[in-house]
Amino acid sequence: MINPAYNKNILIFLLSSIGLIALPHAYHLPLPVFGFFAVLLVWRFLGVWQPQRLPKGLLLLLVSVGGLALLYSQHSGILGRDAGTSLFLIALGLKLMEIKSERDLYLVNYLAFIVAASQFLYEQSILMAAYILFVCCVLFATLVFINSYVANTRVALKKASVIIAQAIPMAIAIFILFPRVEAPRWLLFNQQQQAKTGLSDSMEPGSISDLGLSDELVFRVKFTGAIPPPQLRYWRGPVLSQTDGKRWTQAKDLSYQQRAKATFSGTVYQYTLLMEPQDKNWVFALELPAALPKTLRQNAVLQLLSVDALNQRTEYSLSSYAQYNTGASTPQEIQQAKQLPATPSYKMKQLVRQLGGFDSTPEVFIGQLLTHFRQQDFHYTLTPPLMENNPVETFLFETRYGFCSHYASAFVTLMRVANIPARVVTGYQGGELNAVGDFLEIKQAQAHAWAEVWLDKQGWIRVDPTAAIAPERIEKNIDINQLLPGGAIHYVAPSSEAQAAFNWLQKTRQLWGNVDYSWQRWVINYNNANQSHFLSSFGIEDFKDMVYWMGAIIAVIVATLSGFLLYQKPTTVDHTLIVYKRFLKKLAKAGFNQGVGEGARDFAERIKPKLPTHAPSIEEITEAYLQQRYGVKASAVGLQHLKTLVNHFKI
Amino acid sequence: MQNDIQRLLTVANKVILGKDRQIRLAVCCLLARGHLLIEDIPGVGKTTLAYTLAKLLGMNYQRIQFTSDILPADIIGASVFDAKNHEFKFHPGPIFNQMILADEINRSTPKAQSALLEAMEERQVTVEGVTYPLPEPFFVIATQNPSHQIGTFPLPESQLDRFLMRLELGYPDPNSERQLLMGQNRHQIIQTLPAQITPLQLQALQQAIGKVHVSSALLDYCQAIIYFTRHSSDYVCGLSPRAGLALLTAAKSWAFMDQRNAVIPEDLQAVLAAVAGHRLKAGAVDSAAIVAPILAKVAVN
Repeated sequence: MINPAYNKNILIFLLSSIGLIALPHAYHLPLPVFGFFAVLLVWRFLGVWQPQRLPKGLLLLLVSVGGLALLYSQHSGILGRDAGTSLFLIALGLKLMEIKSERDLYLVNYLAFIVAASQFLYEQSILMAAYILFVCCVLFATLVFINSYVANTRVALKKASVIIAQAIPMAIAIFILFPRVEAPRWLLFNQQQQAKTGLSDSMEPGSISDLGLSDELVFRVKFTGAIPPPQLRYWRGPVLSQTDGKRWTQAKDLSYQQRAKATFSGTVYQYTLLMEPQDKNWVFALELPAALPKTLRQNAVLQLLSVDALNQRTEYSLSSYAQYNTGASTPQEIQQAKQLPATPSYKMKQLVRQLGGFDSTPEVFIGQLLTHFRQQDFHYTLTPPLMENNPVETFLFETRYGFCSHYASAFVTLMRVANIPARVVTGYQGGELNAVGDFLEIKQAQAHAWAEVWLDKQGWIRVDPTAAIAPERIEKNIDINQLLPGGAIHYVAPSSEAQAAFNWLQKTRQLWGNVDYSWQRWVINYNNANQSHFLSSFGIEDFKDMVYWMGAIIAVIVATLSGFLLYQKPTTVDHTLIVYKRFLKKLAKAGFNQGVGEGARDFAERIKPKLPTHAPSIEEITEAYLQQRYGVKASAVGLQHLKTLVNHFKI
Repeated sequence: MQNDIQRLLTVANKVILGKDRQIRLAVCCLLARGHLLIEDIPGVGKTTLAYTLAKLLGMNYQRIQFTSDILPADIIGASVFDAKNHEFKFHPGPIFNQMILADEINRSTPKAQSALLEAMEERQVTVEGVTYPLPEPFFVIATQNPSHQIGTFPLPESQLDRFLMRLELGYPDPNSERQLLMGQNRHQIIQTLPAQITPLQLQALQQAIGKVHVSSALLDYCQAIIYFTRHSSDYVCGLSPRAGLALLTAAKSWAFMDQRNAVIPEDLQAVLAAVAGHRLKAGAVDSAAIVAPILAKVAVN
């Protein structure tokens, strides 16, 4: 028989599937390690046609030592996720160099399965899962290839797909029911590369003339009940109360201070927040959340922060109210909210005086100021002119073109000139409703800045000056797809019929967003707690139940598949062959095995000289068998005769 | 009837020494009404084998030496103007004989090859709109040199398919060679050979072979072989339905020569190399090696 380890087709198939399996590691592992593996793989590929070029003896030893040295230089050890994966990859590459027998083919194939599984240590997206499933299919096809005498790529791939399809119900059952063990996080996730840059912790309205609008997702919100109207969708982020006239920053000391409890009233909104990975630990809740999970804390300016780093998707259950009162403040906080970089200019004071800032109540002044923005020649634009010196005054008295940051900073500055405590709040505003999954998607483009004013008895009150000048910015989302630099701003109006169907791309994006969301919620986040919660809704309460159910479901699946296999078996049974096989079994016990392609006559002629005493009966049985199976007059009597002969045959 | 065959084989074995199996396969091929292709280097007895068989079967025998300048008319004949009767008269060519030895067939151009091979398939010849039937029985034994030799035009696969079997003779073993060297001239022996079978007897034999029983278990095995050749990576192109029929016919003939009235797997295996070798890999010479994977991997039971 030809050694399958030298079969070109099998080798090409195996090496290609290994190439596919290792490919995503190019992004995860150090380049030298992956490069080393790639060189070995290409070397082996060339070796398919020119086996004499493969390294042997001393050279192979040097290559192996080189690989280990490389591993050590990159990771200084073999512990940890990256080092372990690199070790597997290098071992796989080195093993490729010495495929000598069928056994080696299997070994390489199983190593490749492990490398495939290691991809999940880096990325757990649905696309990666689909890719790994596809590659596993190719690996299975390689196994099919090695084991079938009719080696045909299409047939092998088809068979592998069937194997995968049969395994999926089992995998799902085990996924749902197998007891989950929480691995220590440091063991698995020490990477930072997925985190994305979101909002900044400072704001400098005059120095940016072009607001970067990105379509990147920041977080998703799924409401259990009513979804708040757009004008209430303020997602609170960093609070900026410190300013030097140009730049707004957070107050120095934001550590938790004992403060009065907030009170809530009005409609309650319950929701689940699914944060995308971030490089900061900010969590954006709807206005002011009422109750906090243990993994979150609130700082002095009511911003939510997660206890752990947000370098993977994280889920929080929160609830917020339509109305709230932040309660009493501290003198220090009030002091911070009155800080001005310098004595206000005459122009500023003049404006405040004109709007009644020094002689009427704060409420009246706020109203006057918003009216001023609305009635005077102020414009909302995403591409305002640069304002290098004294941006607030330049904006208020000269350019009058700006976006949310300009309005918020000007508003807060004027409030402070009037001796009213105020501060800038940044975060996100709005959110696009995913109609398919019925959740809100909040993207970077929806970053926003508004103001907060301290009013006695009412606490911190949100005032959004941008809403005064461009109410549609608050009611609708900016359509990023139609935005041109310096051009008009288009808004997405979800209510209007024409806009709702404005293109299928939007729909597809929403559908995909929903799939991705469900994957995250039901597969990735299916941890110990979620599992017990989910299973208890089916009445499966404890570990024992879980194991029983798992056993039962696996038994059902196995029974179904076995039934299917039995049903497939040809119904016509060759009795003659069954009897003859009994005879063969007796001979096999004595060490005489019939070859796969060996006919009964040839077999008899081969073994007769070795079993001279049994030669006559072997001849008789063979003759009767051939007569019965291939002869003209097969009959029940003939079969009976054969049975008797075989039963009497002893060795 | 089988005794006649046995006698024929015995006599043939005395002329061509040490080639029992090849002679048996050649006779098997003729009994199955198939044309025979013998491929080997010059001088190993290809022509002698063909000549012997013709003599023993008592058939009209004509040898056509194929050369690079032979024309179709040299094979099938031509119309010549008869001055006496003022008309064209067809002069039949050497193909109008019961047994044709087409010697070194791959030395001629494809045009001449086609003329012969068409006649083989149709068992008739058409010249200028008139169809002339070929004599019955009609056999072609072609010999060819391995295609790596100089001045050869390899037969295409489609034409190789017309031959039921392809045989390789190979060098004789030392004993046979010794006898050959010591013995008298082969040509003289053949001249004196008496026919062992009459054409009428041959026809009876051929009819008897058609009645050999083929069980469904045997057909399973036969189909497994065909399926294997079509799906295995060892072969570029699997066996055609015509090849499957040829395999079965040859196996029946083999079983008959073995004095059995039913085909068993061993019969298929015995003729497999000769029947399938040239159909699976036209370029290669070693038929046994070509079919080795089939014999090793296709299960009999």
